[in-house]
Amino acid sequence: MTAVSPLIVEGLSFRYRSRELPAIQDINLTLAPSQVVLLAGASGCGKTTLIRCINGLIPRSYKGELTGKVLLQGQEVTELPLARISQLVGTVLQDPERQILGSVVMNEVAFGLENLGWERAEIRQTVDETLARLKISHLRDRQTHSLSGGEKQKVALAGVLAMRPNILVLDEPLASLDPASAQEALDLVRTLADEGMTVLMVEHRVEDVLRIQPERVLFMQDGRIRFDGLPGEIQKNVDYREVKLPAHMILAAAREDPVPPEIKPLLAAASSSVQTPLVQFKDVTFGYESGLEVLHGINLEINRGDVIAVLGPNGAGKTTLVKHAIGLLKPTGGQVLVNGRDTHQLSVAEIASTLGYVFQSPSHMLFAPTVREELAFGPTNLKHSPELIGEEVSQAVEIVNLAGYEETPPLSMSFGQQKRVSIAAILAMRSRILVMDEPTAGQDYKNYMAFMNSILQLPTFEAILFITHDIDLAVIFSNRVLMVNQGQVVADGAPAEVLRDQDRLRANRLVPTSLLQANLDYFPMTQKFYSAEGLAHRVPAGG
Amino acid sequence: MLVTWRYKPRKSLIQSFDPRAWIIFYACFLATTVLFWDFRYQAALFIITLITVLTSGIKFNEMKRAWIFIGGFVIFFSLLTFLTGRGGVELYKEEHLITRLAANFTILGWRPTLTITAEKIMYAVTMLVRVFSLASMTILIPYSLNPAHYGITFRGLGLPDKVAYGMDLTMRFIPSFGRDFMLTRDAQRARGYELEKITGGLFATVRKLAPLIVPVTIHAIVGSEDIIDAMDLRAFGVGPRTWLEQLKYRKRDRLLIAFGILLLALSVGLSLLAFGKFWVPQFLLALAR
Repeated sequence: MTAVSPLIVEGLSFRYRSRELPAIQDINLTLAPSQVVLLAGASGCGKTTLIRCINGLIPRSYKGELTGKVLLQGQEVTELPLARISQLVGTVLQDPERQILGSVVMNEVAFGLENLGWERAEIRQTVDETLARLKISHLRDRQTHSLSGGEKQKVALAGVLAMRPNILVLDEPLASLDPASAQEALDLVRTLADEGMTVLMVEHRVEDVLRIQPERVLFMQDGRIRFDGLPGEIQKNVDYREVKLPAHMILAAAREDPVPPEIKPLLAAASSSVQTPLVQFKDVTFGYESGLEVLHGINLEINRGDVIAVLGPNGAGKTTLVKHAIGLLKPTGGQVLVNGRDTHQLSVAEIASTLGYVFQSPSHMLFAPTVREELAFGPTNLKHSPELIGEEVSQAVEIVNLAGYEETPPLSMSFGQQKRVSIAAILAMRSRILVMDEPTAGQDYKNYMAFMNSILQLPTFEAILFITHDIDLAVIFSNRVLMVNQGQVVADGAPAEVLRDQDRLRANRLVPTSLLQANLDYFPMTQKFYSAEGLAHRVPAGG
Repeated sequence: MLVTWRYKPRKSLIQSFDPRAWIIFYACFLATTVLFWDFRYQAALFIITLITVLTSGIKFNEMKRAWIFIGGFVIFFSLLTFLTGRGGVELYKEEHLITRLAANFTILGWRPTLTITAEKIMYAVTMLVRVFSLASMTILIPYSLNPAHYGITFRGLGLPDKVAYGMDLTMRFIPSFGRDFMLTRDAQRARGYELEKITGGLFATVRKLAPLIVPVTIHAIVGSEDIIDAMDLRAFGVGPRTWLEQLKYRKRDRLLIAFGILLLALSVGLSLLAFGKFWVPQFLLALAR
């Protein structure tokens, strides 16, 4: 081979100064130009550390023990100046919110070029070209904080692409995007690779990435690369429980495994015979101070036994809607009733004993010195007895798979673990209704499947509602789907009814998944939606 | 992620100037205001403030919260100085008693008494006007300065690249901190935490505030680490930086700067000549006789 490889990793290991065990061990990797390489793995497998070694943040910003080397265009990263690295490797972080610096889109995209000291005219031209290429020229003069999640992701990407790197490293770029935006982002990645860029994409949503036909797939586990091969070989080499594979692969693989236990959700609801709604929205309208109305005439009941998935595009008003149920927002028109009482007359703390609300971002609530104290905070505020609190805390810890971490400071944990602590903190309150805003964001597939399963089987909840971008969560776990768009409920019904209409899905920036398709195909036989593992044992092989 | 203040392009006096010119004028104005204790001088400066506020094009509704907060704060402290007479003592040596109001009850042998003197009244009034000028001129800035220009404004005022960008981030940190605080408060209220019900001594109160203070602080620290990483990844600080935005002084900007500097120079001169000291009008003194 005559051309120098854009990226070579040789015998790379790294241990953070504060940790005992290495985060990555003996990584070897050579990338060819013009390829999309998918790097999959559960959280904590070392993918973020590998990225930091490639983009030079290790050893510059993160100290520790580094052995082996990383070569960019044949030059060692540790010996290159930052300005040079940033032109060789562009990194887009998982959460665009953590990456965007500029207050206006134009400035954000120009930031790197300004730092490199380019001429103004040249910067303007490059910025305009980059925006046009990503089809976001219309955002040029918008303030960055007013953009939707999908728009932010594209702007963050533009800021990196403007520097014209040879290698693009994407760390879970799909996490905050609605399915249609995710699809657009992936198509764009494919185009960039076809034009000569090398793309290393870290993502556990393997199914979505396979659609753009990556040239190569890597699978990491415990800091090592366990599989390095072609997409066609995944089914045999990658555990379908660890990352999200297409339904047909799971169907084939799971048939050999024992039948998964059937989920029987919401036992508490079954035992209750009272049929008054738990939460009622009556003609609810809501607008912020600026006078702009965000919700328009919402009518909705949450009843015992409901497991509701709220779907809809970025910025549709889902979170605004749900915040009304716990009284954090009060309607400007109409009424919200919780247990028959108007939220205008209730404090949030009073509602909290009936309705538990898990916020999107765990970092806004964790404060205690240990996980145990963190989890005891809610029940203590609700004046539960010490014995009951002890029981509630240990049960919550079990459900989110954090047993053994009771004495760990939540603030020292990884993002995925923190998210699970934040969910456990609400579970420990044993409210009758559980509301979760994107419970799976930033979580790996294996973990969220496990805790969603456990939460649904808890004996305490009478109803559950969760906001999600993941249609498969709705397919597997919900018995009712609420589609929200532009501040209105556009569809409300059983998953099989609401999700069947493909035109409606597309109109709401949703994309049918292979699991949804498989369930729809087999519906005449099953009469119910199942997970891929569940389907595997209910439908004929090869069907 | 950093959010910005509620800036909007408006047709207004303040926005018709180059931001650097306005910042220089603002600094001169602040220094001038601080120099004087004479109500007549303060009234003249207050007129400048009033003109700026009324021509700012910012609707009262947009600034309502800031006004209520600062207004409440200023009035409370002016009232406090008036009731206790504290603070003014350095400015005047003798006081002219207008009236003395004594309560018709005693607390443990102490009879609450309010002595109203000409000096106390003037001190409180002057203080009120003075602080209102300072506060009003300050609140207008975040509403009127284009966030895209923060960096270049400070760079244009002579700060080095790194410091100027740092100032840009700092300006935006304040509203971002406010947003984080609100999010944390909401998240804790959803866990049954009631800020209103906190009681106990100072130590106990601080302890009970931990659920608010800790996440907000940690978020700020982690947030700044993210910012540093993001800046490093895009080659910040590797050499002299190009600032995409450009600012140009026009005639009116030079005039404003000249006016500001002249105002300050004149004020320094006057105050060196002992003008503008604490002043009590004759009619108040007459009341005291």
